[in-house]
Amino acid sequence: MLSNSGLFGGWNFLRTVAVVVAASSLLLVASDSAPERVPSYVSWSQETLAAASAGDAFRGMLLAKRCEHCHGAEGFSATGSTPNLAGMDKLAVWKQLEDFRSHKRMSRVMEPIAESLSPRDVSDVVAYCSKLPVFTDPQDNRSFPGSQPNPVRAGIASHLVSFGDGERGIPPCQACHGPVAYRPGVPSLMTQNSEYVLDQLTAFANRTRTNDINMPMRTISSLLTEDERQALAEYYGSGLGLQPGSSR
Amino acid sequence: MNWRRLRTFWLTVLVLCLIPATRYYQIDEPLLRYLKGTREVDPLSLHLLGEFVENNLGTEQNADGSVTVRMIAQQYLFVPHCILVPAGVPVHLRITSADAVHALAFSGTEYNVKVLPGTISATRLEFSQPGEYKTVCREFCGAGHYAMRSELKVVPREQFPVLRAGGRGNCAVQ
Repeated sequence: MLSNSGLFGGWNFLRTVAVVVAASSLLLVASDSAPERVPSYVSWSQETLAAASAGDAFRGMLLAKRCEHCHGAEGFSATGSTPNLAGMDKLAVWKQLEDFRSHKRMSRVMEPIAESLSPRDVSDVVAYCSKLPVFTDPQDNRSFPGSQPNPVRAGIASHLVSFGDGERGIPPCQACHGPVAYRPGVPSLMTQNSEYVLDQLTAFANRTRTNDINMPMRTISSLLTEDERQALAEYYGSGLGLQPGSSR
Repeated sequence: MNWRRLRTFWLTVLVLCLIPATRYYQIDEPLLRYLKGTREVDPLSLHLLGEFVENNLGTEQNADGSVTVRMIAQQYLFVPHCILVPAGVPVHLRITSADAVHALAFSGTEYNVKVLPGTISATRLEFSQPGEYKTVCREFCGAGHYAMRSELKVVPREQFPVLRAGGRGNCAVQ
């Protein structure tokens, strides 16, 4: 029963609430002049995780024949600027394909390819890539284990990978990119090409790649100096990040 | 002095010692709301909608002269990484977490804000003197916790950029 007594009782109160709600919604509309900039439409909800990890690897193998030309028959590419896909986390590759599809990550090659894949195709391909074995065979036509960097640069990189730099607020790479810990959608870098890693670090720092959720990589890449980015790329690209038993 | 009086004395001393500690370890309002089950934002889709979208982060000038700072704490970064605020005006801090429990502390001050996923921690701060403060995470949040630091720059009020409506102040724009 609604009585007309007091501040919080009755129709007067309801009317006040209605007026306040209407006014605040108007204010919201008015203040939202700048368009929201969304880095990626992916959010790691339970449904997303289920969809991204429910792929059929055998069907993915047939679909992945298209990827072989650039990414290599075994998921290790011959050119350094093309990423290796072997053993990559399902969620990481899935997110990149989704971002290519929604044009949140730019690539003249990958955008049309990702657009041509159905959601099921994407999860199947991703399941296949994650099952490719990670071992490094120098006899192969692979660019992966690059030449060893000089010890000084390797030392700089190794320190950043294991400890980061607390003074500047740079977290250690291995806290998210493995092998210490992983976060959903974060790729392992242990078998990645040096040139590709450097390209992406530079792209994040220059804001030409902006699809990281809540901008961790844009922030960290801008904090790193150019030398450090180069050193990190060489460290991962020469296989120094790969320790026995550390692959996923 | 009999044992009862001795006990009362030492208990009083103990309680008095604990009082300053409560200023740093606040069992505060956001935690109580979190424990009650209130979820104000979805920590997984902060970047998609709501007040913590990318272009809404940072310092915003309010009409009454105060500023509002919106931040995200995540493993292992505070975003934006460097914040610029004017000295001597109220700073309304609104911060939420994208993953684990964090605590935002400005070293050299007594401010310590607990940050929980799904809950917006809203606090009013004020910095009277210009200066630079290191921002640290004071709640263990994972493997990179110790490197989770960022910066807060307090500049004189007249140096703080006059922002147009919807503009955001950060350290790059002085």
